[in-house]
Amino acid sequence: MTDAQLLHAYRIMERSILLDQAVLRLIEEGSARLLLHSGRGQEAIGTGVCAALRDDDMLFYSHRGLIQLLAKGMQAGPLLGDFLGRVDGATKGLGAGIVHAVDPALGLMGSSGTLGGGFVLSAGAALGARKLGDDRVSVHIFGEGSANRGTFHEAANAAALWKLPMVWLCENNGLSVSVAHREATSIEDVADRAAAYGMPSRIVDGQDVEAVYDAMADAVARARAGDGPTLIEAKTLRFRGHYEGDPQTYRSKEDIAAAHQRDPLRITAEKLAARGIGEAQLAALRDEEARAMEVAVQAALASAKPGPDRIYQGLLAESAAA
Amino acid sequence: MSGFKTLSYRAALREALIEELERDPSVFVMGQDAGPFGGVFGVTKGLTEMFGVERVFDTPISEALIVGGGVGAALAGARPVVELQYADFALIAMDEIVNKAAKWRFMHGGGQSVPLVIRAPEGVVGGLGPEHSQSLAQYFWSSFGLKVAMPATPADAKGMLKSAIRDDDPVLFLENKSLYNRRGPVPEGEHLVPLGVASTWRAGSDVTVVAWSRMATVAAKAAEVLAGQGVECEIIDPRGISPFDLDAILASVERTGRLAVVHEGPVTGGLGGELITQVVERRFSALKAAPIRIAGADTYVPQNQDLEGLLTPDADAVTAALATLVQSSR
Repeated sequence: MTDAQLLHAYRIMERSILLDQAVLRLIEEGSARLLLHSGRGQEAIGTGVCAALRDDDMLFYSHRGLIQLLAKGMQAGPLLGDFLGRVDGATKGLGAGIVHAVDPALGLMGSSGTLGGGFVLSAGAALGARKLGDDRVSVHIFGEGSANRGTFHEAANAAALWKLPMVWLCENNGLSVSVAHREATSIEDVADRAAAYGMPSRIVDGQDVEAVYDAMADAVARARAGDGPTLIEAKTLRFRGHYEGDPQTYRSKEDIAAAHQRDPLRITAEKLAARGIGEAQLAALRDEEARAMEVAVQAALASAKPGPDRIYQGLLAESAAA
Repeated sequence: MSGFKTLSYRAALREALIEELERDPSVFVMGQDAGPFGGVFGVTKGLTEMFGVERVFDTPISEALIVGGGVGAALAGARPVVELQYADFALIAMDEIVNKAAKWRFMHGGGQSVPLVIRAPEGVVGGLGPEHSQSLAQYFWSSFGLKVAMPATPADAKGMLKSAIRDDDPVLFLENKSLYNRRGPVPEGEHLVPLGVASTWRAGSDVTVVAWSRMATVAAKAAEVLAGQGVECEIIDPRGISPFDLDAILASVERTGRLAVVHEGPVTGGLGGELITQVVERRFSALKAAPIRIAGADTYVPQNQDLEGLLTPDADAVTAALATLVQSSR
């Protein structure tokens, strides 16, 4: 990655952490009733993936997808509006703890509420791009737990068979909600499954943004050239519970402490320091982001709540004007 | 341009696909055996030859992919027409139909479109058994982001399929298998039938008979017989369940004072229960008698064709039920 790309990744990581903190504060203050699925610990993946994409490449983001939305270019304001259920939210007040933001102009295609539901959609989006004769790439980020859905296999088979322009990126944090990877999956590496479909795969350190970016850049180039899909497995770590408030009884304190030893934010800061971008510059960036987040929080709080008609809007094309 | 030609329901559907594939390069067709083989019911016969394998092609046996892939392609800007080999297979792809095709726009705030058509041959015919013969429209009346079309005539088959392909919402297009060989007049030239507008097959003053798809043809036969007995039936084919032309039915019930609903799927949990409730809630005072349901038996479809024939009401059964309804409340 260039210095500018790496610094941007750091900025987005910082923004994502600030967004998590802002949302937690809103929950504590009683302003928001919601579930937050924090992506803390997995920031290098969304930032590494999106650094390798064009604006018009299509991203189906994962359950812990806030970082991915920010990295693809969505502003924090509409996401805060969504968390608060305000009309200026990304879904115009429909609101959600698990975000369902889209922005076709930024290639943000949405996220399946049923885990694993996105595999076939992302393959279909790649198929759609092919049929329209353009060179967009479709990317799907998913957790290792959802790779046990049949949809994974149906989509992987078709994507490889048809050489669809897509990249699968598995965020393997070792936990599907409370269930450990080894208790739910017959193999250690999800990447091994790619061979069964005649698809190349890579395993990367998901805490290292450059490792994710390098693998992703190769896979995107391959997809765009018409050579078909790639499965990348990023080994990563979930710092927090499945949702905020999760007591994490299924996990030892040592395990959680060990996870924090490999913080992608710090690893990125160290990389930047080695390139001569020091703490003073990062501190200035953090201040700037913190101020911007505060402005976004206040703007979201000032935004109106939707009227009762909102629940009937957007069902069909003619009812979409929300 | 103003003439008619006679086409089978199958040929009418095929003609709709050809015209839309020619008109719009973003339209493509995929499904199991829908490519060079032409589909198990022959609707896509010759289309791969005409349009190439990039436009009309086979899929793996992967219903989740067929429908979900169609949703994704639609989100990317294409207009896919996907074929489920049998409508029963919709049940394998319920997450993709109900949670994805129908909800994606709503749950993401309303800013996207899913212009997908899911063609699904349904209906009790041919000894195909309990997993290849269902009439399952009733599962979809509460899928509010999904349109459901059920053409009964060749003209409707063509005009509604063309409208479905041009529609910005996902459409489940239920083709009744026993109608594929039915022939009828289809207007020459551009022919579009709007989705969700009921068709009045016959005007009558004694009873409003709402019947879908194949059962509209059965109800029409019954009405012929009853006309000879001095009972005038008003036959209304809603042409689908979403959008639904309730106003046309309410207006008819106001005139006739009686309502019978005829459908192929089981009575229990079926289309009739919902429609009758909607009418009773709004026009109770107009009714001279309790509305009735004439529908499929509450069991599964046997493979034995003699037994299969007992599943759905025939013209005699519909005639008898309608006669009783009218004569008991005169």
